Amino acid sequence: MFMLAMRSIRQRPGRFLATLLAAFLGAAIIMTFNSLYDTAGQSGVDSASADTLTTSASVVGGYGTLLVFFAVASTLTVNVRQRAAELELLRCSGATPAQIKRMVVGEAVAVALVGAVLAIGPAMLGGQALLDVFQDSGQVAESVDHSFGPVALMSGVDITLVAAAGAAFLAVRRATRGHQQRGRARKFLAYGALVIGAVAVTSTFAFSATDEALMATPAYGAILLSVGFALLAPRLLKGVLDRLPLTGASGWLAVRNLRRRADHLSGILMSLILFTAVSLATLYMQGVESDAVKASGAVKSVDAKNLETLNFTVVGIIVVFVCVMLVNSLYAATTYRRRELGQQRLAGATPGQVLATVGAEGLVLTVVGLFFGTVAALAGIIPFTVVRTNSVLPHQGLGIWLAVVSIAAAATLGTSLATARRVLRTPATDAVALAA
Amino acid sequence: MFRTGSRRTPDTGPAPEALRLVKVSKTYGTDDSAVTALDDVTLSLGRGTFTAVMGPSGSGKSTLLQCAAGLDRPDSGIVRVDGTELTGGSEAELTRFRRGRVGFVFQQYNLLETLTVAQNTVLPLKLAGRRVDRRRAREVLTQVGLGDRLGHRPDQLSGGQRQRVAIARALVTEPRVIFADEPTGALDTRSARDVLRLLQEAVRVHGRTVVMVTHDPVAASYADSVLFLADGRLAGRLDAPTPDAVAERLAHLGDDMMAGV
Repeated sequence: MFMLAMRSIRQRPGRFLATLLAAFLGAAIIMTFNSLYDTAGQSGVDSASADTLTTSASVVGGYGTLLVFFAVASTLTVNVRQRAAELELLRCSGATPAQIKRMVVGEAVAVALVGAVLAIGPAMLGGQALLDVFQDSGQVAESVDHSFGPVALMSGVDITLVAAAGAAFLAVRRATRGHQQRGRARKFLAYGALVIGAVAVTSTFAFSATDEALMATPAYGAILLSVGFALLAPRLLKGVLDRLPLTGASGWLAVRNLRRRADHLSGILMSLILFTAVSLATLYMQGVESDAVKASGAVKSVDAKNLETLNFTVVGIIVVFVCVMLVNSLYAATTYRRRELGQQRLAGATPGQVLATVGAEGLVLTVVGLFFGTVAALAGIIPFTVVRTNSVLPHQGLGIWLAVVSIAAAATLGTSLATARRVLRTPATDAVALAA
Repeated sequence: MFRTGSRRTPDTGPAPEALRLVKVSKTYGTDDSAVTALDDVTLSLGRGTFTAVMGPSGSGKSTLLQCAAGLDRPDSGIVRVDGTELTGGSEAELTRFRRGRVGFVFQQYNLLETLTVAQNTVLPLKLAGRRVDRRRAREVLTQVGLGDRLGHRPDQLSGGQRQRVAIARALVTEPRVIFADEPTGALDTRSARDVLRLLQEAVRVHGRTVVMVTHDPVAASYADSVLFLADGRLAGRLDAPTPDAVAERLAHLGDDMMAGV
């Protein structure tokens, strides 16, 4: 089975590209930040510098691990789902469920390993660049040299491999079994995240305006709320669809497609919600914080600067990472619809109508994702602003929101439409026959 | 309910000739690897006829069907469906050409998995921007024996039932010509018989024209006549076919190549 796994990777490298990309980016992020532990752990690093480095590493490392797990899991789930026919064929030719499981997990681990190894170089450069940022802002002594050691290497490789193996295992188990139990665990996690998120957000009011840790609880609250929403994504989508008066053949078809495919689209919606919530919450809170510090006339402390650098780094990474994942999974999902789109065409849809349907689906997804992401972000932003400045809404205006919204909309609609256009280049009769 | 499409009801004026192909040729691939799928095929099918197209694998059956139905463009030659010439152009133009004139039944059904039986049936009407008459859709589905399955999804149906949905979908737009590509290829004999009877009914009762590609002599025997195709050329015609006569003819297709029909 392991030989089969290796062969299936070698013969069709293309289909593993999505997983490879997720593993590569994920491992690069984890290693970049964990190399700060190595750097801090060197002899002769003063305690202030070491403190800054380890704090950053632990905060972003935590985020990173979560993101990598989400990303690798969602790409692998898509991958396994799309190979249902191949796995069925293997089962018919005598492979036991355990053998199939070993093959899929083996492939995932092999691809993840390649991704992690490829990530070492970029992570070294990234870690160096990150250290430069800290040194330029004076948070870390100039004398500290970057080091890429065992912590970075081990954590990067281990987390990526565990995420890949775990996600593949779960995905293949889900594919070979029904998925009733998963629903319950998912619901439990979702409501758990929502409750803890709500508690965290509310507890912001227990802090005073000048507490150092003021930003932490609403930020984590907002993220937890968005994770909760993301886990409930299929259900939220169905709820919205029931109230959607879309007309026209394309709109009619789009609503019906989305309703049936809601569970498959949860990964995409998840990326959208997380992207919106995390970037909005962090950017607005940091804006409010900076304004408040400026207004009070105080000079920023090293800790405050740390926090700012960190916040912007986190947002930057999340924007890039989630955007790539969004594009990645949308591309895979739309390519996979080749046959379905061909059937639409054979039933009498012009290419324009097919694109309109895909576009309408993308638009609904974007709006739903942005709405729940914004709600989660506001849930964190409002308490923070109230406590910090006594006004309710931040004075940063709609600019940041618009920027975030346009990036999300451009990524979602752009990818689905561009991919659908490409798919439409195959004649409808071939498109239907290919996957048959 | 159905327009009987005959002389008695002069609707938008169906042409006496449902399908006409004049010197249609189609080649796939280029240079060395070029395969001539259709070689100067000329044929004419009258309105209200049920014709089966038969031939060995690679004889050009499916290409003939696709070129005639406007799913593919021939390299040269003229295709007329219901008296209207299929002129090249974009896929959108071909789609609009097909919508009003042509219905399809495929071997793999090609129903959309996300839609129910009723929704699949009215989809072509929706896409064409025509009024959707749900009562009529239900009538057609009742006719094919699926009146009680309107809310089911394709994956909840048997192959025979799916194919009957596909036939209902092809009938509901009241097309001039229904093209069926191996409609019984994936069905057991009983379901196949039901499907063939429905196609026969579409012709005899409702005056539609049906062109069916098949490799099964029994399926072909349901048609009024059989056209044989070999190496991209017409190789004979058999009227009032019986399964045995069709099989016999098919077995000797190489021997008695006849030029045209």
